Amino acid sequence: MDPKIDSSAPISTGTTIIGVTYNGGVVLGADSRTSTGVYVANRASDKITQLTDNVYVCRSGSAADSQVVSDYVRYFLHQHTIQLGQPATVKVAANLIRLLSYSNKKMLQTGMIVGGWDKYEGGKIYGVPLGGTIIEQPFAIGGSGSSYLYGFFDQAWKEGMTKEEAEQLVVKAVSLAIARDGASGGVVRTVTINSEGVTKNFYPGDQLPLWYEELEPQNSLLDIQTEAVPMSI
Amino acid sequence: MENSGGFSFDLCKRNGWLVEKGIVKPPSFTKTGTTIVGLVFQDGVILGADTRATAGSIVCDKNCEKIHYMAPNIYCCGAGTAADTEAVTDMVSSQLQLHRYHTGRESRVITALTLLKKHLFGYQGYVSAALVLGGVDCTGPHLHTIYPHGSTDTLPFATMGSGSLAAMSVFESKYKEGLTRDEGIKIVTEAICAGIFNDLGSGSNVDVCVLTKGHKEYLRNNLMPNPRTYVSAKGYSFSKKTEVLMTKVTPLKERVEVIEAGDAMEE
Amino acid sequence: MKKEHASFNPYDNNGGTCVAIAGADYCVIAADTRMSSGYNILTRDYSKVCKLADKCLLASSGFQADVKALQKVLGARHLIYQHQHNKQMSCPAMAQLLSNTLYYKRFFPYYAFNVLGGLDDEGKGVVYTYDAVGSYEKVGYSSQGSGSTLIMPFLDNQLKSPSPLLLPPQDAVTPLSEAEAVDLVKTTFVSAAERDIYTGDKLEIVILNADGIRREYMDLRKD
Repeated sequence: MDPKIDSSAPISTGTTIIGVTYNGGVVLGADSRTSTGVYVANRASDKITQLTDNVYVCRSGSAADSQVVSDYVRYFLHQHTIQLGQPATVKVAANLIRLLSYSNKKMLQTGMIVGGWDKYEGGKIYGVPLGGTIIEQPFAIGGSGSSYLYGFFDQAWKEGMTKEEAEQLVVKAVSLAIARDGASGGVVRTVTINSEGVTKNFYPGDQLPLWYEELEPQNSLLDIQTEAVPMSI
Repeated sequence: MENSGGFSFDLCKRNGWLVEKGIVKPPSFTKTGTTIVGLVFQDGVILGADTRATAGSIVCDKNCEKIHYMAPNIYCCGAGTAADTEAVTDMVSSQLQLHRYHTGRESRVITALTLLKKHLFGYQGYVSAALVLGGVDCTGPHLHTIYPHGSTDTLPFATMGSGSLAAMSVFESKYKEGLTRDEGIKIVTEAICAGIFNDLGSGSNVDVCVLTKGHKEYLRNNLMPNPRTYVSAKGYSFSKKTEVLMTKVTPLKERVEVIEAGDAMEE
Repeated sequence: MKKEHASFNPYDNNGGTCVAIAGADYCVIAADTRMSSGYNILTRDYSKVCKLADKCLLASSGFQADVKALQKVLGARHLIYQHQHNKQMSCPAMAQLLSNTLYYKRFFPYYAFNVLGGLDDEGKGVVYTYDAVGSYEKVGYSSQGSGSTLIMPFLDNQLKSPSPLLLPPQDAVTPLSEAEAVDLVKTTFVSAAERDIYTGDKLEIVILNADGIRREYMDLRKD
């Protein structure tokens, strides 16, 4: 496509999203970049959306589609919670997302990772990719940045991590993807869910680890520009 | 099949075929190649817009209004196809009015946002309206952007339209939290001017709208940075080319018979 | 999703408007100085008027790269002419040369819209107007470029010229004085800049008469 900015192009969350289980709960992670082609439409977006008190979802793909799907599912889960008189399970939330994704697959361009904690099954992660498949996984990665992370997760994910280990793994993974994927960037947001409740965390872009050949972030070119020196022969 | 309102897309396939075969060129629409912006300041929201409307390379309105009324406490800047921004804001503003009659409460920005995104998502991007929605309600000041496909963002400062990059460069270098009213208006005006002078789709004057708790201030043509540069001393005359040869007035014949008789209507 | 295949488009339109008016003993050639691409302004100060010979000026809008190439060819051909004939080319000769140069690239045209203005051998003003592939006509006044559709009807209304088919041929020069013509040009550009997004920033007016060449500048709107 033409590198010029086409503001009528669909807004897509060219994204890195991650969900990881640990002993006692789950950690969800995402970058904060939303882009239209080459333009960053929002550099501080929140792609980890709340569905209920104990279930969150990471969104990727078309921003419009993923917002509508999560709005509907949140609404259905509210009704469900009231009728049931107790919190909805992660499985129910993931199945509602799957239901909408599968039955409207021709209309929707969105992949999601559902994560949360409930008293029956504890911390659970469900991946719901493009066509409406649902897979329960110990960890799930999604979005354009995920292709840089498969190998890393195969190596780094361990059964029975602590909360801190899991969160550090997520932050490390998102920052690795941000370093390589142009469509991911900004800050790293995490949401940790366990029996105690929900903890949201935020890691600014200039406090992330630097990877191979990465440069220190700068506010202005003027900060790194050296004074002009006349050339000598 | 029974029609139940909304647009008819019956001719889309035919028109697509005609365009593909090169038989017809699709008609051009009045696009408000636009710069629209908004920011949150210490006690509310400020919206800004330029006033140029274009159709291709021709300016078809030099001083149009792009900051639309949604509710007494909510306004909305529109970019994209002029007809779409106008229609969608009018429609939602009347829905909000009805909602206020029904609830007897002040409208909320989130309500306007939901109604707008619902409409735009339903039309899958075919209604090309890119909006900056701002307002102050019982939950505080709010600023949102809405894209034609129906996605929304919540931001402390936002820009839209063809001049959005020029305007965003001003915001990214000058915006800070807790701006005063005057500082806010200055930055908004500067951002719109960046669009006016550096983006050909934007031009003419700067409109500003300041929304605070229980107050609004619509500053129409807050800045007019493009005065006419030259006016000829003598002016021009245009010779009359159509001559009136004859004037004849034919009075209309009375066609309705008025009958005076008949019973008087009972009370 | 529709498959997008890469294709190279050799042309761009950099916009801009040119006007020329021929009088009894002068010629006014004017153009705005904005150069743009899409919705971007590339520069606010680019001259579209080029001096080809002592009494011959060319104003061109369209694709700047093609205009530049065209000017280079004409400059080279004029240099050869000067070496061969030891004199400057006349305006009617330059007009024919421009037509030939444009037609030479009939099937890969210069994307350039030209008006040529100057003085003929008797010192009378002449204006030639062109299309991109070399069709040309001697006229009393003309406008080319992005704002021409706005300017041309106004010039037609103010400066009606005799039909070129009349016998005996009538002079195409306009009845205005030089000052009136300059005033008219300023008015047309100010108005065109109001409605054409590709016209603006600055107006460059070049006046050619028995005294030589004079340039005037005036600000236009910059939005």
